[in-house]
Amino acid sequence: MSIITRPWSRMTLAGKIILPLLLLFVLLNILIVAGQMTGVLPVLVNGLFQVINDNVDIFRFIGAVTALLLFTVPAAFVIIFMEMKLIAFINLRLGPNRQGPWGVLSSTLHGFKVLAKEDFTPTGADVPVFTLAPVVTYLGAVMTIMVIPFAPGLFGLDMNLGLLYFFAVAGLGVIGLMMGGWSSFNKYSLLGGLRAAAAIISYEIPLTLAVVGVIMLTGTMSLNAIVLRQSGSFIDWFAFQQPLAFIIFFIAATAEGGRTPFDLTEADSEIVAGFATEYSGMRFGFFFFAEYVNLFILSALMVTLFLGGWNAPLDIQPLLDWLHITVNSAIDPGSLGIGLLWIILLVPPLAILAVTLPIWMIKSKWSFLKAFIVGFVIVNVIGGAILAVWAYITFPFVAGLFWFFGKAFTMVALFVIMRGTLPRVRIDELMGFAWKWLIPAALLNLFVTAGALLVLQAR
Amino acid sequence: MVGASIEVQVTTGLWYVLGFAAAGVGFVFLTIGLAWLLSHRSKGDRHKGLPYESGIDTYGDTWGRFGLSFYIYALMFVAFDIEVIFIFLWALVFRDVVLGGFISMVMFVGILLLGLGYAWRKGVLSWR
Repeated sequence: MSIITRPWSRMTLAGKIILPLLLLFVLLNILIVAGQMTGVLPVLVNGLFQVINDNVDIFRFIGAVTALLLFTVPAAFVIIFMEMKLIAFINLRLGPNRQGPWGVLSSTLHGFKVLAKEDFTPTGADVPVFTLAPVVTYLGAVMTIMVIPFAPGLFGLDMNLGLLYFFAVAGLGVIGLMMGGWSSFNKYSLLGGLRAAAAIISYEIPLTLAVVGVIMLTGTMSLNAIVLRQSGSFIDWFAFQQPLAFIIFFIAATAEGGRTPFDLTEADSEIVAGFATEYSGMRFGFFFFAEYVNLFILSALMVTLFLGGWNAPLDIQPLLDWLHITVNSAIDPGSLGIGLLWIILLVPPLAILAVTLPIWMIKSKWSFLKAFIVGFVIVNVIGGAILAVWAYITFPFVAGLFWFFGKAFTMVALFVIMRGTLPRVRIDELMGFAWKWLIPAALLNLFVTAGALLVLQAR
Repeated sequence: MVGASIEVQVTTGLWYVLGFAAAGVGFVFLTIGLAWLLSHRSKGDRHKGLPYESGIDTYGDTWGRFGLSFYIYALMFVAFDIEVIFIFLWALVFRDVVLGGFISMVMFVGILLLGLGYAWRKGVLSWR
């Protein structure tokens, strides 16, 4: 009771969070009971369902936009943590290990730290442009996520111009970088912004030319259709039909994302931090955020175009047939009747006891509580694994999400390992490589694909 | 979306793009506004607002002239990017235009490659 009598200002942080939640919970309960008793609640719920049913397109749009925008936050946190930890292992360091187990919370806490930092505008800066620059950069990164198919039936919008839209919007990011560099009133920023623009626009051409082969093979620019064309086993992926295009795309994507060895845009040992030198607080945070979102998006596009998207590398259907397993996705819990209640009530405690008792008897020095906790964890892990396998087999979108994110984060890890191992190139090497090697190679790939298609059609 | 007509697809796509852009701008400004509320601010002295150029006071005009190389790359980018848009459309209908389309695209890209070769010969592609 002391939590209520204590004044607000003297409460601990946990109390400040728990008390409002408790009050909210009580209020909600009172409202629900009152609504049920007066008969208002069923009418309201039915009306809400009716509204959603009538405007299903609008609600799908709102849901998709919210989900995609909010998805970028944890994705960036995971990638930043992965980068810190992987590079630490490459450098024979421990990396973050204080915040949470193995330091998993460190990138999240960094994010909140940036939120609380002073957001400062330098004296000579062009304020409107200075403020808008991170917005434009972030939009250029995040708006492309709309056309990427995550799993069967899970995508923002299946646009028939998907690929063209992707490159059109991705080009917006360069403008943001240039705006940031120009408006900062700092010579290093200006130089960094111009370098970023020159490098990114140079590598955008091989990037776009490399995907032309894929468009020719599929005859469509819709990313969903491109993924569907790669279904089957991993030999059907376009990385094996367009290997040169895949390599060109990978190199150009490294430069587009501003990753080492092509990170001339913010080479911290040469031009301080490039276009981001004068930024601080959340506006810097959005530049940083956009960079990692961009990295994820480029990996996701690479997976979608060349590595089969959400398709599994091997079809498990023959294996299931061989094992005589028929997938029964229409499990009806209601058919079990009162038995369902008994299963939910009895199976978990009995399973935990069945694991706990042998552990307790064998490990004589352990207390019962310790054995119980270990047994609880073991049963939950096994149960979770069974549930995951069941979901993987039953729902195509679970399998799709698993493979899509698995492949995308593998590509991200590849970029991170490249950053940990390769030194930075010089700017003349960077520009010369794009124009003298990648663009001719991409055009060669284009005409070889066209010639091969011609020969195949003539036969 | 599969069975929808072209007009419906275009309208839906337009709404999605505009809506997503609006939502993204809203998200960024909301977060920046939240940071504005949460963060501390201090005016500091005259030196706080100076540009950070490795600790040395800034010299001369920042918004002055810069290297011509950037300009030439931008110019070549415009030429090639428009080429890429034409190639995209050509690749989309390649199965219908076959040999005639192939020859005309070889000529089209050949002219641009002549331009690239000229720029290469002139040494524009080497960064100076």
